[in-house]
Amino acid sequence: MAIAVSQPQAPARRARRNSPMYRAWQRYRKNWFAVAGLIWVIIFFIIGIIGPWIAPYSYTYADFLHMHSGPSWQHWFGTDTVGYDVFSQILYSIRYALEIALGATCVSFLIGVILGLWAGLAGGLIDIIVMRAVDFMFALPSFFFALILMVLLGKGIFPMILAIGVPGWAGYARLIRSLVLAMRNGEMVEAARALGASQWHIARKYMFPNVMGSMVVSLAFGIPYDLTAQAGLSIVGMGLNPPMPSFGNMLAQAGANILGFPWLLYFPAGVFAITLLSFLFVADGLQEAFNPKGGV
Amino acid sequence: MFYVKFLAKRFVAIIITLAAVIAISYVMMYYSPGGFMNTTQLASALAPLAAQDPAAYQKLMEQFQSRYGLNLPLWKQVLLYEWHTFTFNFGNSMQNPTLSIVSQLKDALPISVFLAFGSVVVSVVIGIPMGVIAALKRNSWVDYLVTTLSMFGQAIPSFVLAVLFVLIFGVVWQNVLPVTGWGTPADAVLPILSLAAGNIGVVARYMRGSLIETMRQDFIRTAKAKGVKYWALVIRHGVRNSLTALITVIGPQFAFTVVGTVWVENIFAIPGLGKVISTAFTNFDFPMAITAVFILGATIMLTNLVVDLIYSWMDPRVKLQ
Repeated sequence: MAIAVSQPQAPARRARRNSPMYRAWQRYRKNWFAVAGLIWVIIFFIIGIIGPWIAPYSYTYADFLHMHSGPSWQHWFGTDTVGYDVFSQILYSIRYALEIALGATCVSFLIGVILGLWAGLAGGLIDIIVMRAVDFMFALPSFFFALILMVLLGKGIFPMILAIGVPGWAGYARLIRSLVLAMRNGEMVEAARALGASQWHIARKYMFPNVMGSMVVSLAFGIPYDLTAQAGLSIVGMGLNPPMPSFGNMLAQAGANILGFPWLLYFPAGVFAITLLSFLFVADGLQEAFNPKGGV
Repeated sequence: MFYVKFLAKRFVAIIITLAAVIAISYVMMYYSPGGFMNTTQLASALAPLAAQDPAAYQKLMEQFQSRYGLNLPLWKQVLLYEWHTFTFNFGNSMQNPTLSIVSQLKDALPISVFLAFGSVVVSVVIGIPMGVIAALKRNSWVDYLVTTLSMFGQAIPSFVLAVLFVLIFGVVWQNVLPVTGWGTPADAVLPILSLAAGNIGVVARYMRGSLIETMRQDFIRTAKAKGVKYWALVIRHGVRNSLTALITVIGPQFAFTVVGTVWVENIFAIPGLGKVISTAFTNFDFPMAITAVFILGATIMLTNLVVDLIYSWMDPRVKLQ
């Protein structure tokens, strides 16, 4: 009986189980660090969205009566040297950090995909020019380009997205170009074309599943890098202006005031470190899941 | 002869890249909305003059512009600036007009270079044994510990570690190690450690993967069959062959570390090039900022060149190009 009932579903389930996504998820699930990281990343995203509504104080509200006070019921994570509530500051900085890091990663990815596709598909002179530009971007750390762009664009969230995002395209462009070249000359695509598959079918069934893994992994590694760059710009004094909360500003302030008020450090540094770790665990788990053989 | 050609090609590439970096930064700063004379401090100091004696204010601004050649057409400024930079005539900064940039950077550059190279050396010295042990004891608790620790090192940026070190050695264990300033060897310990953590993680992970790969090779099996002792096998045959691959990560790691010095010097109040860069950028001190980026960029690219040379020397199969 049971066999008879389960039979009609079997092909569909087998197809799902054989899909690259499903197998990747099976491998991903086994990695405890990656799962824990994913849970924190999800919480982090939720806080980023609802943070300003659950924050007990506005980030511009300075409680002058409770400056430099330690953690208490009134101010869970204490207050800083001006009387800003550290808990609320963290909630707001999560939102800004996410906006900037995700925005910057999207900008880098978009430019990288466009130039990488162009170079890979057009070839010839365009390929040479794009690859020279990639070499140029790799010659210097992109953080220096970000600093120079910040001077040009001025301070703020949108300028930071551009300043971090625009110099970050080179890695994506190189990856996409190599994927395009590998795909275009690949035997699998050739075989599919010989069997009479349409362009759309080839793109959807052969190219996309093979390319997706590498792209997801490189995006996942890009986000923590952009988060670091975003805080790093504030450390140097080129980030968001002080009333706007950001992890970099809080860390810089904590470093300057550490002797008297260590709680200014515990919470921002803790949240920031856990976040970066989680993003890296997720990226690492994705790499293992999509690319089980390779990867160091 | 081959090396001469290779070096010539690389030097030309480095000079072209640096020239492009200078031109791009100069044009960007030229079009930036702020300017050195518009920074809050100076603008408020000059406001009374502008109100009382507009003619004198105008004259002052013109004097400032002509001193730095800002009244020339843009293309002329860029070309002049390129020429001056490549003849190492960096001129004077805007913040300290009486001091030449060279005299201001003379003391700062060695500090940053020392921090960056020191952290790479420390990471190699600590990271290689960690990676080797993890690779030999694969899937044991030692392996998991090393892998997790190196993940932590890689994930947590140097500035977060630096602030944590300030907390530990400034508040909890006072008077063990200095947390600010520069001068004694002890001052270098914490900055180098916070810079090295990420590199240690990368080196350990890379070494682990590379050694696991090497130990699977046929020549290891042959050596084992020949009766080579275990540690001789690991070190002379395994580690030595894995090291060549490790050299390739040193170049990118050095560039990454140079960025780290900019952050760490700000937190530990070290008068290095990183500190110079951040003050120059926040004050729109363009000649200083571009010169500092030029020098750091040149250091990074020359280090990469040396790394490539070492790589080809260690592994003659690698073709220089």
